[in-house]
Amino acid sequence: MDQPNILEAQKLTKVYEDGLCALDHVSFSVKAGEIFCLLGDNGAGKTTAINLFLGFLNPTEGTPFINGIDVTKDPLAAKQHVAYLSDVVMLYPNFTARQNLDFFARLGGRHNLKRDDYYNALRQVGLQEKAFEQRLKGFSKGMRQKVGLAIAIVKEAPAIILDEPTSGLDPKAANEFLAILHQLRAQGRAILISTHDIFRAKEISDTVGIMSEGKLLAVKTKAELEHENLEKLYLDYIQGKVAA
Amino acid sequence: MLKILLEKELRDIIYSTKFAITFAAAAVLVLLSFYVGIRNYQESIHEYESAKTTNAANIAAQTDWHQIQDRVFRKPQPLEILVNGVTNDVGRTTDMRSSGELNLINSRFSVDPLFAVFRFLDLNFVFVIVFSLFAILFGYDAINGEKEAGTLKLVFSNGVARASFILSKLLGSVLALGVPLLVPLLIGCLMLLGFGIPMSGFEWVRLGLVIVAGLLCFGVFLTLSIMVSAMVSRSSVSFLLALVVWIFSVLIIPKGSVLLASQIASVPSIDAVEIQKRKFTADQGQKWLQASQQWFSSRMSSSASVNDSGFVNAMAAFQDSLQKAREDARAEFYSRLDEDWRNKKDWQERWAFGISRVSPTAVFQIAAMNLAGTDVGMKFRYMQQLSRYRDAFAETIRKKTGSSADYFRIVIKRFSGGQNDQEEKQKSLNPSELPEYVEQPRSLGDVMTASMFDMGLLVVLNALFIGGAFYAFLRFDLR
Ligand SMILES: Nc1ncnc2c1ncn2[C@@H]1O[C@H](COP(=O)(O)OP(=O)(O)O)[C@@H](O)[C@H]1O
Ligand SMILES: [Mg+2]
Repeated sequence: MDQPNILEAQKLTKVYEDGLCALDHVSFSVKAGEIFCLLGDNGAGKTTAINLFLGFLNPTEGTPFINGIDVTKDPLAAKQHVAYLSDVVMLYPNFTARQNLDFFARLGGRHNLKRDDYYNALRQVGLQEKAFEQRLKGFSKGMRQKVGLAIAIVKEAPAIILDEPTSGLDPKAANEFLAILHQLRAQGRAILISTHDIFRAKEISDTVGIMSEGKLLAVKTKAELEHENLEKLYLDYIQGKVAA
Repeated sequence: MLKILLEKELRDIIYSTKFAITFAAAAVLVLLSFYVGIRNYQESIHEYESAKTTNAANIAAQTDWHQIQDRVFRKPQPLEILVNGVTNDVGRTTDMRSSGELNLINSRFSVDPLFAVFRFLDLNFVFVIVFSLFAILFGYDAINGEKEAGTLKLVFSNGVARASFILSKLLGSVLALGVPLLVPLLIGCLMLLGFGIPMSGFEWVRLGLVIVAGLLCFGVFLTLSIMVSAMVSRSSVSFLLALVVWIFSVLIIPKGSVLLASQIASVPSIDAVEIQKRKFTADQGQKWLQASQQWFSSRMSSSASVNDSGFVNAMAAFQDSLQKAREDARAEFYSRLDEDWRNKKDWQERWAFGISRVSPTAVFQIAAMNLAGTDVGMKFRYMQQLSRYRDAFAETIRKKTGSSADYFRIVIKRFSGGQNDQEEKQKSLNPSELPEYVEQPRSLGDVMTASMFDMGLLVVLNALFIGGAFYAFLRFDLR
């Protein structure tokens, strides 16, 4: 591919204060129009990697780049180029879907959006019309996830990072969710997803990075996976049967 | 960026059900405290006026300036109704006499014990208990609540500086909570006008400062709990911490400081002082009797008649000088005792207040009572005014009754069966011939000096916790 690297991890390493090495020299990159999936068990270090990209943590070693900007050097500038959906999406319960969207859109630098623009985004993620002006208090996790995704979409950032976006969603909602991801990819966004769900990973990704205990064991493209059984590969890797 | 965050903060608070409920409760209590205060004021003014009228009627029914029974009543002040302080513990009635000790009796609480039970609902109570709780309720999860909801990470996935965020939190909370609280307070002030409570410009200034102090106290709890919410990552923990601080501040420290102060600086009981006074007076009585007897026996030997005017004049002169010497000695002895006791008490109070200032609500209370004039010095100041009035009173009585010689002549005439003077003596007294007791208001300078330190302390505490909140949030773990 001749697309530029939008997200890039260079030898990312994180040792927590308690001495635990949650991330061990992990390097990967995500190009425009690519969906990269970090696949790994709970505790593999996926969220740690994402937190490093967002400047919530400082790396012990290595560097995260967003759109070529070193996050550790200029986090505020770097974060203007990334949209993020966290694993816990509660949002503001006293605000309506549209008000939540409006607040985060303006935080993300989109100042001139109209009510219709918000409605379009909410429609795009498949939220029912009647929920647009309802407070988030009564929303199900799936509905909140959709609003969260709408927030990520309206920012129109070149990079999107999603932490365990489909966990807790019912199959139908999860499928709708993935359809939207494909649209975003078609728009040329670089998308980084973390998941522990092998099937989803295989279904949606262009590239899968297999992680275990802070190490990125293998990076496989969709083409490579055509010929292999990802589930077996994954289990083999994390059990150490295949040398990384 | 700050504007977006601030706007969100304001909306987030004002849209919440928590705000609707707690604000309504706080507003009702504020209005109620004004209303109850106004009713109390009207009632006590009514009592005051009728007590004065009764007193005047009593005097008018009397015929002898020598035996006049006059009472002075403490006039209720409007600010006392909003910040009760010690008002209801201080006696309101004094039997006015030319000599002897003046005592305050009939305090509100002694006359009306039920009132003592429900003493709490004044504006001071609302500020100390309700506003501080209100502040905690919104501050305790200001930061870590957003972390738990995942919105903190979402906010900071944008190019948002931490300083703008914490600033918007502090500013937003203060505005969203403080400004609405001003509304019932202003309505309360309008109620004072509406009910025609007479307030001087000076009293309005003092009330304004009480409200400022109350809002500063509210600010202390708000910034403190926001700081706590930026120091611990779980809101359940920060709620507990804030509540503990509140309990210590409102309940434990003020009471503890009094206990501690009485350990550090002991003061003799007022009973011990009373006993000394009584003994002194009894001794004086004894001496007076002896002196009089001596005088009589020395005179009687010279076989003068009791009807002899020279004798009466001499006796009156002797009695006058004796009486004066006796009153001077009493006044001196009492004031020495009182002053000594007062000094020790002052010292103890200084300790108690000093220790209690660890608690922001106590600081507010001290400031508010000083502003309203219902601080612990209230009784002392009133007594000083009374004794100043007593000088004028005694002077009038002296003029009315002439020298004691006239009195003795009357007494002697009565005993010796004189008849025709009766009509003259029946003339009733005119109460308006007595000087009127008018309370002198404290000067603005006095009030300001007394409350300045605590007002300043509240400002400093606000600044301290704002700084603390900034410091804590700059190193807060956003994940
Ligand atoms: N603040 C922290 N301090 C110490 N250890 C942590 C901290 N956060 C996460 N960890 C540990 O780091 C490892 C990786 O965690 P995480 O990145 O959340 O994994 P994943 O998202 O893949 O489930 C886990 O073993 C976790 O217990
Ligand atoms: Mg995770």
